[in-house]
Amino acid sequence: MKKIFIAAIIVLAFTSCDTTKPLYSWYNYEDVTYQYNKKATEDLQAKLLEQYKKLTTKQKGGRGVVPPGLNSEYGFLLYKTGKKEEGLKYLKQEVSLYPESEKYISRIIKQLEK
Amino acid sequence: MKKIILFGLAVLALVSSCTTPVTLGKQYPAMYEEKPLTIVIMPPINRTTHAEAKDYFYTTMYLPLCEKGYYVYSPYLTMEMFQQESAYDAEQFIEGDLTIFKNVLGADAAMFTIIKDWRRNNMGGVLTVDVEYILRSTKTGQTLYTREGLIKVDTSVNGGGGAIGALVGIIATAVNTAATDKVVAGRKCNAFVLSDLPAGKYSNMYDKDSSNPAGKKFVKATVK
Repeated sequence: MKKIFIAAIIVLAFTSCDTTKPLYSWYNYEDVTYQYNKKATEDLQAKLLEQYKKLTTKQKGGRGVVPPGLNSEYGFLLYKTGKKEEGLKYLKQEVSLYPESEKYISRIIKQLEK
Repeated sequence: MKKIILFGLAVLALVSSCTTPVTLGKQYPAMYEEKPLTIVIMPPINRTTHAEAKDYFYTTMYLPLCEKGYYVYSPYLTMEMFQQESAYDAEQFIEGDLTIFKNVLGADAAMFTIIKDWRRNNMGGVLTVDVEYILRSTKTGQTLYTREGLIKVDTSVNGGGGAIGALVGIIATAVNTAATDKVVAGRKCNAFVLSDLPAGKYSNMYDKDSSNPAGKKFVKATVK
C-alpha cells in the first residue's frame, strides 16, 4: 500500500517538473532587429552591433552556445560595414559551431568576396 | 486489499488511456521519420490587404524555431537571397519541388506560412492574426507539420499570458515591444502554433516527445 503511494508521488513529481529552460539567451534581439528592419538608421545599427556582441559572448541558456544563424548574421553585418576580416571570422565561426550550415555559409562568403 | 487497489489502478489506467488525446507521434509521423535538422523560413504568403504583414511576420519565426531545437537559417540573410533570386514570393514553391533548397542551402525542411488575417481593431484594442503553418520536406516534398492559429491579443490591458506552456512563456518574455504593434500578435501566434512541433536535435526533448499529447490542428485563443 505504502509502495503504491510512493510510486504515485514519484510519478506526480516527474510530471510536474516538465518545464523547459530556454536553449539560448536572446536579450533584446527581437526588438532591436525588428526596429532596424523597419528603419535602418546609423543609431539603430550601432545598437544592433552591440546586441550581437552580447549575444555572441554572453550565452546563459540551456545549451550555453550561440544560437544557430547568429554568428553568420553578425559576420555579415560586420563585413557589410567594412570590417571584412572580423566579419569572415564570425561567418566561419557559424560553420564550426554548426557544420550543417557549411553549404549556405560558403555560398555567402563566395558572394561577398566576388 | 492489495488486489483491489491494483485492479482499481488497472481500470483507471485503461479508462484514462481511452481518453488520451492523439500523440505527437501519431499526429506528425513524418516528423519522426525524417527527423529534419535544418529549417529554412519561407517568405510568408500574404492573403490580407496589409502589405507590411509579410516582412514583419517573416522574421518572427526564427527565435521560436531555434528554441525548438532546430538549425534555422537566419531570416535576415535568406531574405536577401530570396530577393536577389526573385524568389521572394513563396506561392511558387508551396506545392512545387523544394530540392533547390536542399541543394543551395542544405535545408531539410521549408516552413511556409499563409497569413489569412492581420488586423487591429482600434475600438477594443484587439489585434487579430490568423496564420496557417506548413512545414514541408525538401527531400520528399511531403508535409511534415501543419497547424493553424487564430490568435487575438487584447492590448487594452498589459500583462503576461498566464500559464500557457513553457514555450509560450519563453517567447512571451521576449515580447516587449510597444503593445500596439501587430507583430506582437504574430509572435504569440507562433508560440501557440509551434508549441506542438516535435523537438529538434538541439533540444533535450529530441526524440522523446512522440508520446506527448498533441493539441488541435486549429488553435483559437485570446490572450491579454
